[in-house]
Amino acid sequence: MKISRRLFLRLFYFPLVKISNDLAECKINRSIHFSGYDSRIGGERDELENSSIIDYLIFSNQSDKLVIYVIGNNFLRGCNMQVIMSRYLHDKKQLLKELVSELSKAFKYASILGTDICGKTYSVYKTGASINDSEWTERGFVVRVHNGYNYTEYSFNSLSEEGIDSLVESIKNKVNDDISRLKNSTVNIGTYPVIDEDKIIGEVFKEVEILPEEVSAEEKIKKMTRIKDEAFTYSALLVDFRIVYGECHVSKIFISQNKDLEQSYIWSQGSLSAVVRRDHNTKFYYDSAAGLRGVELLDELQHKIKEVVSYAEKLLDAKKIVPGQYDVICSPGISGLIAHEAFGHGVEMDMFVKNRAKAAEFINKEVASELVIMHDGAAAAENVSSYYFDDEGILGTDTKIIDRGILKTGISDLLSALRLGTKPTGNGKRESFERKAYARMTNTFFEGGKDRLEDMISSIKEGYLLDVMLSGMEDPKNWGIQCMILIAKEIKNGELTGNIMSPVIMTGYVPDVLKSISMLSEKVEISGSGACGKGYKEWVKAAEGGPYIKARVRLG
Amino acid sequence: MIERIKEILSSIEGLNGWKLNEKRTESKELFFIKKELDMNRGKNVHHIMLTVYKDFDQDGKKYRGSSATAIHPTMNEEEIKKAISDALYAAGFVKNEYYPLVEPKVEIQPIMENRFRLESMSSWMPKLTDEIFIGDKYNKGWINSAELFLDNVKIRILNSQGVDASYETYRGELEFITNWKEDESEEVELYQDILFSDYDEKLISESVDEMLKICRDKAIAKPTPMLENIPVILSGEPVKEFFYYYYDQAAARSVYEQTSTAKIDQNIQGEDVKGDKVNIAIDPYLDNSTSSSPYDEDGIRLAKATLYEDGILKRYWGNTRFSYYLGIKPTGNIRNIIVEGGNKTLEEMKDGPYLELKVFSDFQMDSLTGDFAGEIRLGWYNDGEKIVPITGGSISGNIKEVHKEMYLSKETQKTNNFRGPKSIKLLNVSIAGVE
Repeated sequence: MKISRRLFLRLFYFPLVKISNDLAECKINRSIHFSGYDSRIGGERDELENSSIIDYLIFSNQSDKLVIYVIGNNFLRGCNMQVIMSRYLHDKKQLLKELVSELSKAFKYASILGTDICGKTYSVYKTGASINDSEWTERGFVVRVHNGYNYTEYSFNSLSEEGIDSLVESIKNKVNDDISRLKNSTVNIGTYPVIDEDKIIGEVFKEVEILPEEVSAEEKIKKMTRIKDEAFTYSALLVDFRIVYGECHVSKIFISQNKDLEQSYIWSQGSLSAVVRRDHNTKFYYDSAAGLRGVELLDELQHKIKEVVSYAEKLLDAKKIVPGQYDVICSPGISGLIAHEAFGHGVEMDMFVKNRAKAAEFINKEVASELVIMHDGAAAAENVSSYYFDDEGILGTDTKIIDRGILKTGISDLLSALRLGTKPTGNGKRESFERKAYARMTNTFFEGGKDRLEDMISSIKEGYLLDVMLSGMEDPKNWGIQCMILIAKEIKNGELTGNIMSPVIMTGYVPDVLKSISMLSEKVEISGSGACGKGYKEWVKAAEGGPYIKARVRLG
Repeated sequence: MIERIKEILSSIEGLNGWKLNEKRTESKELFFIKKELDMNRGKNVHHIMLTVYKDFDQDGKKYRGSSATAIHPTMNEEEIKKAISDALYAAGFVKNEYYPLVEPKVEIQPIMENRFRLESMSSWMPKLTDEIFIGDKYNKGWINSAELFLDNVKIRILNSQGVDASYETYRGELEFITNWKEDESEEVELYQDILFSDYDEKLISESVDEMLKICRDKAIAKPTPMLENIPVILSGEPVKEFFYYYYDQAAARSVYEQTSTAKIDQNIQGEDVKGDKVNIAIDPYLDNSTSSSPYDEDGIRLAKATLYEDGILKRYWGNTRFSYYLGIKPTGNIRNIIVEGGNKTLEEMKDGPYLELKVFSDFQMDSLTGDFAGEIRLGWYNDGEKIVPITGGSISGNIKEVHKEMYLSKETQKTNNFRGPKSIKLLNVSIAGVE
């Protein structure tokens, strides 16, 4: 087991904090600064507190025995470390409860979501570097109240104990003033029932192998610089090689009359991208990794350097595809893109409320090959969108969207479920505390099958293996999808020829694509390195994936 | 809050400069399903982004590291100090070539005139709502849903050199979905998102009406046929996306990082251009654009600049840092793009068979490679005899293979931060038809 400097500081702030099953109630009343060694020692408390070689210390709750862990400069591995809840949200919890209590006197329903997300994004490239706060960084609150007709939300990021009365008054005035103005205009106001919640009190603090704070900015930048330098040893055609690594520590709290929820987790993501040029021909290739992981992600990226440079070079000789229908094998990344675009956005149930989803007419009908089983849910897999509760205080679930080719159900936020009379699935997500919650995807993926990739390739006479997604877009009403793909590897007579086409645009009618799936490999891979928008806004983290799948699609 | 941060900054050792970007936003938001209000939201938020700079020498060369960190209004003294200290520590490992910060200029702070300022935002929301639904007047077509946002934004930029610039602006956004159902055909929908910064009594109602009419055509559209060697005319939003290639290629940052090969005084379109040559400028003040601003993020006072004249790259654009690296005068980051119209009218461009494409799922231009592509949601195919609305399939191509002979319409359009030709006519575009 290891423990971090950040954890030490957290312990200092928290008189009571859950660290792991056997540790609690840590009281440290002075700050210490020690250099580290890669070993562990133990001893008497006074002696150890005065030692100059100790990095961190914690106490066992079983006795007064002092346990000291000393951390050196390596990325140590071992037991996972539990992520610690935001001290700020923890400190404000009572205040938030008071706020909800006061608002509940004026409105039939009141809740508040508090978010504290911190993290850094590191970039290293040929001409420089950067270390900045993550673009997902935020700290703020969103209140939701039932305004007598439907729901009003108010987002803010200033909060003080002295100002709580004026905040309550301000929210009440804004809600009543806005509704009154709208009521007196030509606007028709829709109605919603009051949210009826079960009582739930809970907290989940996830784990990572290496907490971001355990590794200094210097170490991360040095490691990333080594990756960049190694890349330049592989090709004289390399114009730039970029390594981006970002980490996010998410803490959220949800308080309503019946709910008291806390969660904290860390996700990280990273990418390598190579830009190569020959004469006036410029190409790029990238690979990425993401997950509920810490700094260990950098180790994973390190193994991809050579392949990223190699494929970038190959793209300089890529040809244009002849437009047409082809038998293809989609890599897990492309399978995930299809899952996401085809029956991810298509079954977001706020689209059902608006009558924008063709899927609503196809519940319990065949929409895919009987080999296809598809899931979405925060509890369906462990990746960047695997949370305990969503941004409306609904616990995450595992939804089987397609079962053996039959469309079973959609994924839902709370308000859409209220309108539809269905059960929310824990898919209510916000871009930030400043934005509305919508029905959004979490981990969207096809289950694996029984085929081997070699057999899948050998089954194709003329076609392509599609790999590396660029972007996707769907039409939920008319079931069209667009998938921008970087590479199509040519297959002829059951073998990869080594020829590649790039870029490729895959389009089609969703059921046609899914019904054409005839083979699926065993292993499922899920990636969460991208971001998902609703239309052209409301960006959230989402993960998607699947096995290799064989299908017939239109390429251009 | 700003004074508190400045005070803390003044007590920190080893700091070679700083920049503060403050943004206060107050917003009103309405969400409609058909004509019924589904939800209303509001927000009042205050964001401060602090960038700290740390200089260091290595092998006789001067470097300037930087790191940006958010200072939340709820942070206490201890948290602010830690955020600054962490950022400063990180900046020491950011090995970027040295560059200066923006120096202050004595000037009167600009006021951007805006009609939204005349009334409260709460008063504007019912008025804007009325304008959304004025166009909802057809029996077979309607607005499925709409989301209306109006933000009042106050910006302030400060740095350690003495820059202290501020301005106030508005950001409006309307996302709406239009549906159409013809008797015999399937109900269809189209998506539109418009941005605006000032009140224009026609913008919303005309946009809604245009999308409903386009949606009507989609309802009766035929599958895109397999076509070869037919001119493709891009119209509307895709035109704007197409021209981002030239904008990005002229960015000082792209040139410094070698992702652009564009050279001053050379024709970006190559030699022996047969069609229209591009004339492109950037302008910080474009009417009703959410990208209009008197200053960029570093506090540079912005002014109009010409990038291309008859295809010839006249200058790069960029912020202080990347302009300093290239040894040029910085334009600052300006995000309004003005493209001059061409020599042919739309009517002249449509002489003979063509495929005109106006709505894509997501038309994309890759400014690095020049590749462009998109799935067709609506277009019109003229086979020389009749014009038929089409949908489905996709197009793809590379700008380097089409811009030696392309034609820009004489008629122009204005969409948020872009003013330029309504249409461009391209040859040598690959079409993946459905039938």
